[in-house]
Amino acid sequence: MKERTLYTLFVALLLGVSAPAFAAPAMVTINSPAEGAKLDAMAQNKISYEVVPGPNGDHVHLYVDGKEMAVLRQLKGTYTMDTLAAGNREICIKVVEKNHTPIGVEKCVKVTVQ
Amino acid sequence: MDVQNLTYALTQVVHNFGAATVVGAAVFARWPQPLSPEIRRILAWLALTGWMAQAASGAGFGAISIAFYGRPPDIHGIAVAALLVKVACAIAGFLLAAAYLRFSAGWTDGGRNRAWNGLIALGATALTAAAFLRWFS
Repeated sequence: MKERTLYTLFVALLLGVSAPAFAAPAMVTINSPAEGAKLDAMAQNKISYEVVPGPNGDHVHLYVDGKEMAVLRQLKGTYTMDTLAAGNREICIKVVEKNHTPIGVEKCVKVTVQ
Repeated sequence: MDVQNLTYALTQVVHNFGAATVVGAAVFARWPQPLSPEIRRILAWLALTGWMAQAASGAGFGAISIAFYGRPPDIHGIAVAALLVKVACAIAGFLLAAAYLRFSAGWTDGGRNRAWNGLIALGATALTAAAFLRWFS
């Protein structure tokens, strides 16, 4: 009986420890705007994205030219950005963990706002 | 069990108990009934320890991020303001509790009560800022 309990605990611990290793790797996809797209400076442009958080990711942050613009808790969706100033802009989505630290997985697109 | 989540959880345990201590000790020192100077001194030590735990565990959250990813959490706007409020409360709370322990023997009853009221206000402010830090990050 004692051995069986120990075996059960061992298996539970093994599963618990290794569970994150089976999660799909983190990944970000920006469906739109496309790389090199031209955006209207007068419009409220939208970004469409899909995220796989991976074993350590939790949610994502949206950046424009390195400045954080929004915290996005949906892993798939569309976000309406504030109007962007004219010029070349870099829009990035970074996967962050529960404490809001980027885990190193991100996707960026360069666009021209005019 | 994920080591990163475990370290965050254990740090959160310290942070939560620290928050309960700084507010609970100060409130209990004022209500529901007057307490002897000796009991209040014990509560002041609790408050001092609680603020130290708050500061250490708060720094711990940042340290864990740096340990795992080489950088601190990425927060901005209201979250940064809320964090600064929490840090200010921790510093002020620690200093006020330390001053109480060091000098309160020479204070009037009114002065001691004002110190406890200040500790209550600092604790409540820090707890309120914590909510904004949590949800505006």
